[in-house]
Amino acid sequence: MSHAAVVERLADENGATVLLETSRALPLVSISIGLKTGAIFDPAGKEGATRLLSRLMRRTGGGLEAQVIDTRIDSLGASVGADVAQSTMVFQATVISRSLDALVDLLVDVLARPGLATAELERLQRETLAELTDSLDDDRGLARRFFRRRFFGEHPYGRSVTGTSKSVPTVTRSDVEGLFKKNFVRGNLVFAFSGDIDAEGASRIAHRISEALPEGAALTDPTPEPVAVPGRRLVIVDKPERTQTQILIGCMGSHTRDEDHVALLVANTIFGGTFTARMTQEVRSKRGWSYGAYSNVPFDRRRQAFTMWTFPKADDAGPCLRLELDMLRGLRENGVTKHELSWAKRYLVRSHAFAVDTAAKRVGLELDQALYDLPSDYYSRYLERVQAVTLEEANLSLQKRLSDRDLLVAVVGTESLIGGAVRDAIDELASTEVVPFDRVE
Amino acid sequence: MSSSGSKLRAKRLAELNAGAKPNGQVTHLETVAFGPSLSVERFGFGNGLELLFCEDHAAPVIAYHTWFRVGSRHEHEGKTGLAHLFEHLMFNEVEGRKAGEFDRKLEEAGAESNASTWLDFTQYNVSIPKDQLPLVVKLESERMSRLVLRDPQVKSEKEVVANERRYRVDDDVEGAVSELLWATAFDKHAYRWPTIGWMKDIEGFTTEDCLAFYKTYYAPNNAVLVVVGDVTEALLLKRLSAAYGELPPSVLPLEDVRPEPPQNGERRVEVTKPTTTEKLAVGYHSPAMGDFDHPALSLLSEVLFGGRASRLHQKLVRELEIATEVRAFVGPFRDPGLFEVFVSAREGQTAEALLAVLDAEFDKIQQEAVTAEEIARASARLELSMLAGLETVDGKASTLGFYETVLGRPGAAFERLEATRRVTASDLVRVARRYLLRANRSVIVVRPDLSASDAEAAQ
Repeated sequence: MSHAAVVERLADENGATVLLETSRALPLVSISIGLKTGAIFDPAGKEGATRLLSRLMRRTGGGLEAQVIDTRIDSLGASVGADVAQSTMVFQATVISRSLDALVDLLVDVLARPGLATAELERLQRETLAELTDSLDDDRGLARRFFRRRFFGEHPYGRSVTGTSKSVPTVTRSDVEGLFKKNFVRGNLVFAFSGDIDAEGASRIAHRISEALPEGAALTDPTPEPVAVPGRRLVIVDKPERTQTQILIGCMGSHTRDEDHVALLVANTIFGGTFTARMTQEVRSKRGWSYGAYSNVPFDRRRQAFTMWTFPKADDAGPCLRLELDMLRGLRENGVTKHELSWAKRYLVRSHAFAVDTAAKRVGLELDQALYDLPSDYYSRYLERVQAVTLEEANLSLQKRLSDRDLLVAVVGTESLIGGAVRDAIDELASTEVVPFDRVE
Repeated sequence: MSSSGSKLRAKRLAELNAGAKPNGQVTHLETVAFGPSLSVERFGFGNGLELLFCEDHAAPVIAYHTWFRVGSRHEHEGKTGLAHLFEHLMFNEVEGRKAGEFDRKLEEAGAESNASTWLDFTQYNVSIPKDQLPLVVKLESERMSRLVLRDPQVKSEKEVVANERRYRVDDDVEGAVSELLWATAFDKHAYRWPTIGWMKDIEGFTTEDCLAFYKTYYAPNNAVLVVVGDVTEALLLKRLSAAYGELPPSVLPLEDVRPEPPQNGERRVEVTKPTTTEKLAVGYHSPAMGDFDHPALSLLSEVLFGGRASRLHQKLVRELEIATEVRAFVGPFRDPGLFEVFVSAREGQTAEALLAVLDAEFDKIQQEAVTAEEIARASARLELSMLAGLETVDGKASTLGFYETVLGRPGAAFERLEATRRVTASDLVRVARRYLLRANRSVIVVRPDLSASDAEAAQ
């Protein structure tokens, strides 16, 4: 099924993009309101400001108290949340159909008339600091956080969406108000409706919300392309009593406008994109070293990192890391086989059914396309492009895009147990840094 | 179904059964309502296998689940974690198919597949594009009876499971605390050990243990297939009868159930963990999923802990600002389980301070009526959560399989919703007074220690 065939694009006189797919299967309506903003627009030194804004809006819509809003949302049989990433912000609401109109009243207050009360901001900042402390318990999260920070450095993609214990307290009401005014303008919104709602209803809701906002065009993303740091670098996040080691290996990856973007996606499917891919076979099935072993080619508006993820027990950390680096080198040098390529294409084409099996998912793809500035035919011709990838294209994409020389290894474990083995596993190691886990930046 | 529809089905079944082996003979057992707009057909096969089928043409996909009525409750001391290890082994070699081929073929077909084990069941779920039904029927029926277990695979999979345990429990504060809570709260019942098993038991399993488990529990008369999606009843039954009709039933052993005796005093354990703040876990013995009190206690849990408007979130996170997170969960199990509460303290705050607030709120709820607004709020949250879980064919199959395996009533999700709507303020006082008692609880206190070894001291 082509998702584009069933998702409607509705005209909105206020300049907002409105997407809709009606489905009467359940008495539920899903509304996503996306903006092309995110942590990349946090003011200098004020990491976490955009996320604070989204949460503050959710708590102060229409000048109401947070408790009143929370109670009202729950009582309607609804959920409202805001998800902020590096380059996007999405307010996601789901509601039982009978309460749709009442929820829309609330959404207008949240999106167009937030009180942004200082007392609530300060409470939110205290909560965020406590959450940052709690997040130190999450080893996988620590690995991702340190990887991002060290891999992208001062580039905006290196920022923490949540912010840091230093930056969060510095955010003022004036900061969040400035971000609100800058971002919440009519042309910067993309509406995506799915479920028990028709075109008339969707248009009416989009119109009500956008009409309450000032005119303005979509923001332009000023983020420069990130640049790879030369050499093999290692950061060990030292945490006591770890029986296991989180390992993230990454190099510069893909851009959706690369001519070989889809070829790299197909090649990655073979390497670490599925449960029977090379990484799972070698690390989990043959050696039992890690419960999971995967690689990933994510996208954003600018080039993102290619990553490999495993979590072996402490004794296996060194051998596992060496194996992974050998596999990455082998992948670049020898490529994938014709048989593997045919298999991956069949997998990707057939499993696409589950990327488009509900109205919400189909509309979600269109929303992503709009928010991430994807090529206009990114999803509509995705399957066609997958099927067209040749062996040569797949292998050239690996050689051109991935690197086994310029990469970062981020490890969370007990340094006294794994430090030596991990260092020894990386030939021609350019730099090593050991950071206590509770000195998170 | 209309009478003409019933006649047509009877005619089709008669034709199917005329050419089927005795174990593959199919009987239509009942039609079960699944909410206001869907229904589920229950069929029985000659070998005891049952099928729950919900035709759904919303997308060209099919969810194909196999639920076995065996979980960690069927294990024994010294062999804990066997049901879960076995779940892993089910993805290995089958007669005529080498290890790894099962997953490879399913992925090539575009399938999404996974499995899970819990206290009462083990389930295998595959979602496939509709044209791949023959493959999944073949693969699933093969591994129900023709699995091959060899030492190298068992050894490797034990290592994988040990690593899963390190990930989910040993290096995870909340996982470790939850495990300790259940082990503290239960003395007799098999719910006292974790589904993933104790590490020493995982390391000790032999291939013979696994073979014995397979022969005992993996039989058609201990399983129910749940199929939801874009396929017709006639086509599905024809394929299932042919594929599963060869399989003989097994003699299932009498379950050695040890009912948990009443707890007559609070149990408290204090541990240190390499974490930055104190944590508190409290477990109150709670009713079985099928108990009349279960929906009321679930609603009470929602009033107290469900979302940011709940009483304890308001009190601990917003008003007093002594906690980062609060949450609770009423165990959905065949036998009485636990009403678990978990609270993470803010820096400098103590677990004792959290517990004092918890106690005050629990005392209050045993004396004062919950408002109608709070009941309506909690009820709406549960309704939204249930409906949201039914969006995909996999979500529907999971819901049907879960309620069938735990309660024997596949449509019970909607029955519970109705039961929840009938709950009154008096019901909430009753369940609060019956279950939220200090003598009925176990308390785990976690002290942060970023330098010391994992010394644990039970009081």
